[in-house]
Amino acid sequence: MEWINALLAVPFIVGVAFFFLTHMKTASFSTALHVTGLGLMLICSLNVVAAVLENGRIETWNHWIYVDSLSAVFVGLIGIVGTLAGVYSIGYMNTELKEGHIDYRSYVYYHAFLHLFFGSMLVAVTTNNVILMWVAIELTTLTSAFLVGIYGHRTSLEAAWKYIIICSVGVAFGLYGTILTFSNANAVLHDSSQAIFWSVINGQAANLNPHLMYLAFAFIVVGFGTKCGLFPMHTWLPDAHSEAPSPASAVLSAVLLNCAMLIVLRYFILTAKAVGFDYPQALLLVFGLLSTGVSSFFIIMQHDIKRKLAYHSIENMGLISFAFGLGGPIGMFAGLLHTITHSLAKALLFCASGNILLKYRSRDIYYVSGMWKVMPWTAVLFAGGALALGGVPPFGMFVSEFAIVVAGITAGKTWWVIFCLIFLTIALSGLTIMLLKTVLGKPTEGVEAGEGSRLSVAVIALYLLLLFAIGIYIADPLSQLLQNSVGIILGQDNVSFGDMLLLPWQTLQ
Amino acid sequence: MLMINTLAGLLILTSLAVIAAKTAKKSSALYAVQSLVLVALFVFLAQELNAHELYMWSVSAFVTKVLLVPAILIFAVRKLDESTVPASMNAAWLIPIATAIVVVCYMATNAVQLPLAEHLKPALSVSLSHFLLGLTCIVTQRNMMKQVFGYCLMENGSHLTLALLANKAPELVEIGIATDAIFAVMIMAVLVNKIYRTLHTLDAKQLTELRG
Repeated sequence: MEWINALLAVPFIVGVAFFFLTHMKTASFSTALHVTGLGLMLICSLNVVAAVLENGRIETWNHWIYVDSLSAVFVGLIGIVGTLAGVYSIGYMNTELKEGHIDYRSYVYYHAFLHLFFGSMLVAVTTNNVILMWVAIELTTLTSAFLVGIYGHRTSLEAAWKYIIICSVGVAFGLYGTILTFSNANAVLHDSSQAIFWSVINGQAANLNPHLMYLAFAFIVVGFGTKCGLFPMHTWLPDAHSEAPSPASAVLSAVLLNCAMLIVLRYFILTAKAVGFDYPQALLLVFGLLSTGVSSFFIIMQHDIKRKLAYHSIENMGLISFAFGLGGPIGMFAGLLHTITHSLAKALLFCASGNILLKYRSRDIYYVSGMWKVMPWTAVLFAGGALALGGVPPFGMFVSEFAIVVAGITAGKTWWVIFCLIFLTIALSGLTIMLLKTVLGKPTEGVEAGEGSRLSVAVIALYLLLLFAIGIYIADPLSQLLQNSVGIILGQDNVSFGDMLLLPWQTLQ
Repeated sequence: MLMINTLAGLLILTSLAVIAAKTAKKSSALYAVQSLVLVALFVFLAQELNAHELYMWSVSAFVTKVLLVPAILIFAVRKLDESTVPASMNAAWLIPIATAIVVVCYMATNAVQLPLAEHLKPALSVSLSHFLLGLTCIVTQRNMMKQVFGYCLMENGSHLTLALLANKAPELVEIGIATDAIFAVMIMAVLVNKIYRTLHTLDAKQLTELRG
C-alpha cells in the first residue's frame, strides 16, 4: 500500500525540487536528483505491479486511487520504459548543455517538467475518479509542452504551440464525455460521492442510460483520441514528437499515448456494458484502420527520421485501437500486448535517433549515411529496432501483430485484416528505405567516427533485449497481468482464448 | 428562473464581445466581466438546484476567473505589439455563426434525454454553445493571444456544463479543473511571449515551417 503513495508523491516532489536548483552553477546536482527520482520511480512502480499481481488490485485514498491489472500494465510501462528513457536523457541533455544548444536554466526546467510529466501520467493511470482522470491527462499536456518547445527555435516553438492548443481543445471534448458519464451514473446511483468513481460506475454500468453512453463515448474517442494521436486529430503529433529532445520524444511516443489509450479503454468498458460491444468496437475499428492507413503513406514520404518515427506512432496507436475494435479475448490481448511492444520499440528508436542527431546534427535520411562505419553499435541497434518496429521476428512486435491477425480472423473480419496488413507492409518499406540510406552507404563527409556514450548504447541495447525476450517468450507475471486485464475489459472472471493459436510459439495457460 | 436564462444569454453576448474586441487588453477586461456573469449564474443555480457546493464554486470561480486569469492575461500582453497581426475574419460574420451555433445546440440538447430538469435545458444549450464559440474563436483568429481567449471561453462553457450536470461532484474535483485552467493559461501566455520574442509576430499563420 505504501508503495503507491510513494509512487505518486516522488515525481512531483522531485519535479518541484528542481525549481530550487536554477541558481546552481554545475549540472551535477541536477543529474544526481534526476537519477534519484528515476530510481525511486522504478522501484515504487515495480513494487506496485508486484502488489497488484499478489492481491488482484490496490484501492486506497478513499477509493480515489484504484490500481487493477489493467492499470498495472501501464504503471509498469511508465516505470520501466520511462526510467530507461530518463537514464538515456542524462548523457543526451548533458551533451546538449555542454555544446550550448540549451542554457542551464532550460536544462534544469527540462528535468523539472520531465518528472512532473511522469507524475501526471502516473496519476492518470491510477486514479479512480473520472474527472481527476481528465484533469491528469490535461496536466500531461501542460507539463510536456515545455519539453517540446525547449530549444526555443522557430520550429520547436511552433510545435509546442500546436501541441498545447490542439490537445487542450481535443481533451476539452473528453471533459464533455466525462461529465455525461458522471451525471448519468449519478442519476442511477443517487449518490454523488460514489458516482464519481470508475469502479463504482463499472459495477452499475449495465443500468446506465444507453443513449447518453452513445454520446459520451463519441466525445471520449474524439477527446482522448486526440491525445492518442488517432487520425484525423493527429496533426500535433509529428510536430511535437520530432521537435522535442529525443529522450522526451521517447517518453511522449512510448508512454504518453498509451496513457490516453487507457482512458479510452476505461470508457470502452463502461460503454460496452451499457450498450453492448458492437458500437464501441465499430468506432475503434474505423478510427484505428484510418489512422494506420493514412499514416503508412506519410511514413513512406517522410525523409526526416524523427517525423518518420512519429508517423509510425500514429500507425501503431491505430493498430492498437484496431485490435480493440476487433474485440473478443484475443483482440483485447493483442491490443494490450502491442501497447507494450510498441512502447519498447518506439523508445528504442527515438533514443537511437538521439545518438544519430548528436553525431550528425541532422535528421535528414539523405544526409545521414554510413552509420555502420561511423557508430557501429548504434547502427546495429537502430537497425534491429527498426526491423522490430516493422514487425520482423523474433522481436515482440511480430508476436503482437500475429495475435492481431488471429483476432481478426477469429472475429470474421478477414478483409479488414488484409487491408491492415497492406498498410503495415507499406510502413515496413518506409522503415527499410530509412535503414538502407542511413545505416549503409558511404559515411557522410565531415562526420568523425565515434560511438555515442556507453550509457546511451547500453539503454538502447536493453530495450532491444526486452523486445527480444517478449518475442521469444511472454513471462508468466506479464501474461497473468494481460489475461487479468482482458477479463476486466470483457467483464468476465475467467477468460478463455479458445483453440486458436494466439501466439506463434507459446500457448497461454 | 428568468434570471438564469437572462444571465445565460448575457454569457453569449459577452463572449462575442471577447472575440470581437480589437486588443487583447480589452478582451481581458471583457473576459473578467463575463466570468462575473458566470459567478452570478453559479449563485442563482445554487439556489435553484439546492446545491450548496455551487456557492463554493462561485467563490473559487470569482478568485480564479474574475481576478487571477484576467490579471495573468493583462500581465502577459504588456510587452506585445498586436498591431502587426493582420485582421482576421470580419467580426460581422460572428453574428450568423453564433446564431447557427446557438440554434444547433438548442436542438441538440432538446433531442437528448438528460438527467436535468427540463427548464434548465436552455442554460445547458448555452453552455454547449459557449464551448463551441470558444472553438470558433481559436479557429478563426490569427492573433495567438486571441486563441488563448478562445481556450478560456471553451473553459467557461465546460465549467457551466459541469455546474449544471455535475454540481454534486466533490469540491476537490472543481479545484483540480480550475487549477488546470490557470496553469494552461499561464503556460500558453509564456509560450506566446517566447514566440513573440523569437519570431516578432503574434500571427498564428506565420507558424507554417512544419508541414507533411
